[in-house]
Amino acid sequence: MSNPDKLSRRRFIQAGGAALAGSAFGATPATATAATAGDAKQPTAPALHKLLRKAAIPASRGARVVVVGGGWSGLTMAKYLKRFNPAFDVVLIDRQSAFVSFPVSNAWLADQVTLEFLSHSFFEAANNHGYLFMQATALGFDFESRRVYTEQGYVEYDYLVLAPGIEYDYSRIGVDDTEAQNLLFHRYPGGFVTSSELLTIKQKIHRFKGGTFVLTVPNGDYRCSAAPYERACMVAAVFKRRRISAKVLLLDMNSEITIKKAGFSRAFEQLYGDFIEYLPSSEISSVDIEGRRVVTEFDEFPFDDAIIYPPVRASSLIEEAGIDNPQDSQKAANTDPFRYHLVDDERVYVTGDSRSQPFSKGGHTAHSEAQYVAEVIAAHALGREVRWRSPQTMCFSAVDIEPLRAMSIITYYKFDKQSGLFAFDRTHLMDKWDTQGGQASLAWAEGMYRDMFYL
Amino acid sequence: MKITRILCRGLLIAIAVICSPPAAAAEPIRVVLELVPDIDNGRRSFEICARCHLPEAWGNDDGTYPQLAGQHVNVLMKQLLDIRSGRRANPAMQPFVQQRTIGGYQDLADVVAYISTLPMNPDHVKGPWPPDSSEYLEGRSLYSQHCAGCHGATGEGNNGPSYPRLQGQHYEYMARQARLVRDNLRQIKPSMAALLGALSAEDFDKVLNYVSYLPVPQADLAPSADWRNPDFQ
Repeated sequence: MSNPDKLSRRRFIQAGGAALAGSAFGATPATATAATAGDAKQPTAPALHKLLRKAAIPASRGARVVVVGGGWSGLTMAKYLKRFNPAFDVVLIDRQSAFVSFPVSNAWLADQVTLEFLSHSFFEAANNHGYLFMQATALGFDFESRRVYTEQGYVEYDYLVLAPGIEYDYSRIGVDDTEAQNLLFHRYPGGFVTSSELLTIKQKIHRFKGGTFVLTVPNGDYRCSAAPYERACMVAAVFKRRRISAKVLLLDMNSEITIKKAGFSRAFEQLYGDFIEYLPSSEISSVDIEGRRVVTEFDEFPFDDAIIYPPVRASSLIEEAGIDNPQDSQKAANTDPFRYHLVDDERVYVTGDSRSQPFSKGGHTAHSEAQYVAEVIAAHALGREVRWRSPQTMCFSAVDIEPLRAMSIITYYKFDKQSGLFAFDRTHLMDKWDTQGGQASLAWAEGMYRDMFYL
Repeated sequence: MKITRILCRGLLIAIAVICSPPAAAAEPIRVVLELVPDIDNGRRSFEICARCHLPEAWGNDDGTYPQLAGQHVNVLMKQLLDIRSGRRANPAMQPFVQQRTIGGYQDLADVVAYISTLPMNPDHVKGPWPPDSSEYLEGRSLYSQHCAGCHGATGEGNNGPSYPRLQGQHYEYMARQARLVRDNLRQIKPSMAALLGALSAEDFDKVLNYVSYLPVPQADLAPSADWRNPDFQ
């Protein structure tokens, strides 16, 4: 770390090729993006010099906090940073021009809410909460001179919050080749990272002619643990309503339903006996894209169409910046588990689904966590400390439509000093799916959007 | 232990409707509804609340959720109506208390009546200065001087005029709400903001510390912190 300028260029180049393709809530799988990095030691092309200029945004009017990633964590973070310290100059960076909510998107697949309900404007959020939104792609960082590089130039920070989310890790289902990964991503998207995936999936379901429709449940700490089971219900509900001869084949890489097991099992049996076939312990070893087959250790499953949700990992921005924890199989950042900053840099924080702690990945966890971390950062600027508090995970799952019926679970976390591990705390499961749960799930989503965008 | 207590027979809700064109200097119109709560229906409606507030409604020690158990019905009702109308800003909760989610005034009356039957958390979080510390004792005299007149000598509150019961509330929650009121970020009675604003920062902390130690009558408490609401088992 002796020559920051040189280092920043080197890091920038390393990060460049990958991050151009897949950064904040990135568009493509991590391992599919390393192609163009090259061996250049100095950028020479005019285009690259442009990237090394200061971005044309208003000069900061206070300590600047740059938030990378406008998902549930970043949006909440930007709002509450301003709330807890109005003197902060907050800049939220996301590569996308608008926000589409993944929570409740399964209900949208089955026409229970509109796309307007899920879609919100970053400008609106920034205007209402007094921060700046910058539509740009974060490419890399220089932690010495405190810069975030984007394709529009660099932005300097006093504090940096990284909330870039997850990427798919296709190598864990035996798809290692970059081209194959891209093809799989485009043909059979998992529907947990970008909004185009969701739009594709809706088309698939509503145009499906019949036959076998494969859905997969990844293993490990994947985003939204209940969502693949909920999605199986919503897809089956559409098939049932369309009265087509179709089967949802739910291939679960886990040995059993990972959450709300009784509630989902009851739904599979009572509502979708003819539509859902559930196969646990389906360890996927490869996917034959052209031949349309999922291959597991002992079996092969031909399909007519599919949604392949592979295991996930933290955004490659983390690894490329050299701040990942080498021990972590999902390449999450090496951070203090209570204060969320990098172990050796109290000006850089990592939150949301690329966090290092094993909290349930999902919108609500990120939302409650970000309120706490915003308070931590505001306090840090004043030389104070905030007592640790657990994030809250609230998770609704729709199982039926017309009327919408849903169940819910809420949990907190506690740290066990003996084992040095986090464990669930005060978990409350309401797995009798009913219309009240359905209404509550929509109220929940509306409340979250209000908080992040409007009020 | 007596979980269901005899409740007030009727619950009064006063709604001030202000007709909008300001030029006309419209007079507020006061509508008073008298509702007899149906506790069984309240229990069913409470399923919506319990998804976040948990079945015991005991709140969180970090101050993110208040203890609702044991609170006066009129106080609870006022909060629900204020959050419903947006007068009390709570964007995340607002959709839950709308007609389409929880129902009409009768349902609100039912649910607050149900909540008031719940025994209270015997182990709520208290402030940093224990009884007999000098800060506690100063907090006590500040309390009797400034607060006891409305909130009662032991913080029991008053259902009639909707003065909240302070006993048993988590310290962090109470401190946060008091700061919001003092800083005019939560609008309640102007006199309350003025009163909190007149306290020095030290006195403010001391009186809130004392409030967290106000004793809760034994009969209102659950037998232990491990008690779980049998209606939701």
